[in-house]
Amino acid sequence: MTSIRILLVDDEPDIREVVDVSLGLDRDFSTRACATGADALVTAAEWSPALILLDVMMPLMDGPATLANLRKNPRTAHIPVLFLTARTQSEEITQYISLGALGVLSKPFDPMTLAASVRSYLPPSAGDHAS
Amino acid sequence: MSWRLIKAILLVEDSPGDARLISEMLDEQGSRSIELTNVDCMSAAEKHLAERAVDIILLDPGLPDAQGLGAIRRAHAAAPRIPLVVITGLDDESLAEQALQEGAQDYLIKGQIEQRALLRALRYATERKRLERLKDEFVSTVSHELRTPLTSISGSLGLLMGNAIGNLPGPMARLLAIAHTNSQRLVRLVDDILDIEKMEAGRVVFNFSRVEVQPLVEQAIEANRGFAEGYGVRVRLEAARAAAEVRADPDRLLQVVTNLLSNAIKFSPTDGEVAVAIEKGPDAVRLTVRDHGPGIPVDFKPLIFEKFAQADAGVARQKGGTGLGLSIVKQIVERLGGEVGFADAPGGGAIFHVQLPCWDHVAGLATDREAKPGAARLLLCEDDLDTALTLREQLRQAGFATDFAYSVGDALTRAAATQYHAILVDIHLPDGDGVSLIVRLRQMPQYRDTPIVVVSGDTSRGRDDLRASKLDIIDWLNKPVDLDRLVRLLAKPVAHEASRRPRILHVDEDNAVARALGEIGDVVTVSSIEEAQCALKVGDFDLAVLDVAIAKAASPDLLPELRDSKGNVIPVVVFSADGLDLASDARVQAAQAKSHTSIDSLVATVRDRLASRLASVPREIA
Repeated sequence: MTSIRILLVDDEPDIREVVDVSLGLDRDFSTRACATGADALVTAAEWSPALILLDVMMPLMDGPATLANLRKNPRTAHIPVLFLTARTQSEEITQYISLGALGVLSKPFDPMTLAASVRSYLPPSAGDHAS
Repeated sequence: MSWRLIKAILLVEDSPGDARLISEMLDEQGSRSIELTNVDCMSAAEKHLAERAVDIILLDPGLPDAQGLGAIRRAHAAAPRIPLVVITGLDDESLAEQALQEGAQDYLIKGQIEQRALLRALRYATERKRLERLKDEFVSTVSHELRTPLTSISGSLGLLMGNAIGNLPGPMARLLAIAHTNSQRLVRLVDDILDIEKMEAGRVVFNFSRVEVQPLVEQAIEANRGFAEGYGVRVRLEAARAAAEVRADPDRLLQVVTNLLSNAIKFSPTDGEVAVAIEKGPDAVRLTVRDHGPGIPVDFKPLIFEKFAQADAGVARQKGGTGLGLSIVKQIVERLGGEVGFADAPGGGAIFHVQLPCWDHVAGLATDREAKPGAARLLLCEDDLDTALTLREQLRQAGFATDFAYSVGDALTRAAATQYHAILVDIHLPDGDGVSLIVRLRQMPQYRDTPIVVVSGDTSRGRDDLRASKLDIIDWLNKPVDLDRLVRLLAKPVAHEASRRPRILHVDEDNAVARALGEIGDVVTVSSIEEAQCALKVGDFDLAVLDVAIAKAASPDLLPELRDSKGNVIPVVVFSADGLDLASDARVQAAQAKSHTSIDSLVATVRDRLASRLASVPREIA
């Protein structure tokens, strides 16, 4: 059993820390965090995470723009993306899905169940033969 | 305001005379730069709105293919961001009023339209829509700005309270519990402010589930205990004899009970008592809240559920009310499919009651028992009961039986128990979104190729992406559903299944092979083992074609990886430059030598393997 890599992208350091601890409750997860979309593109290509948790409102390159750039690179195009955002009105959720996100998790989240929510978006076999 | 903002008008009007009249009025204005397009039915309007930019819609809701409110809803659904002016006939003011509630910005009365009124309506509607949008953006932004720090606060406190960092000493735990509870309360408050705003605009999403009333009422009483003590009021609960369960959105129902309680407490005399009772009837659960206050003044009775209505403004201010509480109660209860009312209590005071449909009653409706025997059975995943019942009735006429699932969990349970002919999925479901439901259904072998139609009350944005995605959705319909189109879609599911193109994972760098395979299926070509592993994680494949040089380098590492997301082994055809040394591996279905086999022969082998696999999907090959 190898670890399941989760890449978190959020410009708020406090939220990065809380998410990191929350995801740590699932012992199979190994988490890395990026503060900007640009960093995320580099880390995603190098580290090949199983899933990316992406904030929407970020300066310079926001979540949707980051997602679009991930999709352009063959090394990152296939990585599933979940938006983790405070903007979760129904219209906004539809928009995120249309951009190609696998799903949307809302902020504030329950830190005790966040890891389980993330896991529910991964294939059942994830963790058995993750790279 | 000027004409700058209005460049393209869509006139949806089937009477050529009326259309000409409006066209002439606009021409006389000298506003020739405005492009006026006239269509005579709703489907043409929807097509136009999907393809062209429009600044404002003028709609006569008496069309051949859509009438009245249905027409207004469809126009609004097709272009929720475009201002809409409705032209009503016969002084039908009630339709006009409903039109405004359904998202229209203004209305004109046919036969009384004159040029200045028309121009003014167009300009005002545009301006109103612009302000509406600004207000939405403002509320949404403020809510986001508040939620961001709240995420860190409630997240940190939640981790501490969940003992994620270790056990807390007693006194510290108590103080942190207070902070945690209140941070969550603040989160709800922010949500409520946004809700009031959305409720006004009719855009609130209700998440229905099975709710036991008594614990929820106890929770509301507990939450209001401090408030009641402040007024010197006791709250007493008379529980139901049997467990009373309703179908409701628990958060909204809690909001209803809380509002009724705080209302009763505020108007109770000191040392007074508020009595809450739960009664279970055959079809409905009735909740009553009785106070011993001054009662409701006769003059005020017709106004009690009005927004900002207060019997005595002075008293209300003193009591700390906003005048929104009961109005919110009524709006929520109606959306929950229930009713709310009030009466004078015997001996003084007021009794408010809320009646909601019993869970048993609603759950009993989920299985379609009245359809013709042998009718093809559909699963409709929809949490709005009225919508579901209407659609069932219509589909029954077309010869289908329709079962309901009110949530994602419900849908998965039902889908596992019954093999449905087709599944209709609403994008908004209480415990998850429809897209994730579809993802999970597609992971169930028996629903891999079942037709799935998305039925959405939302805008059609995202539709094409979803259609093109690997989720294999056969169509996306907006509510209200175009029944003819739906029935046509459902009539040919078998053809759809047969026409599904096989998915081939091609691990090679040979473009000629990729092109040839493209003739028989959807090919994903990757050039390395790493890429193949990634591709397998996100997509399912029916077969893999491997270049032996890569397979050799990878084996035994790659072959065990060749399973789809359901764990089924994917058959492998090896394409090799020389020997067939891998052919003895049980996982390899066929080996083709590149040197003495043409690409045509490879294609034939692949076609053959696919045919045998697709005929027996899903099964273990190894």
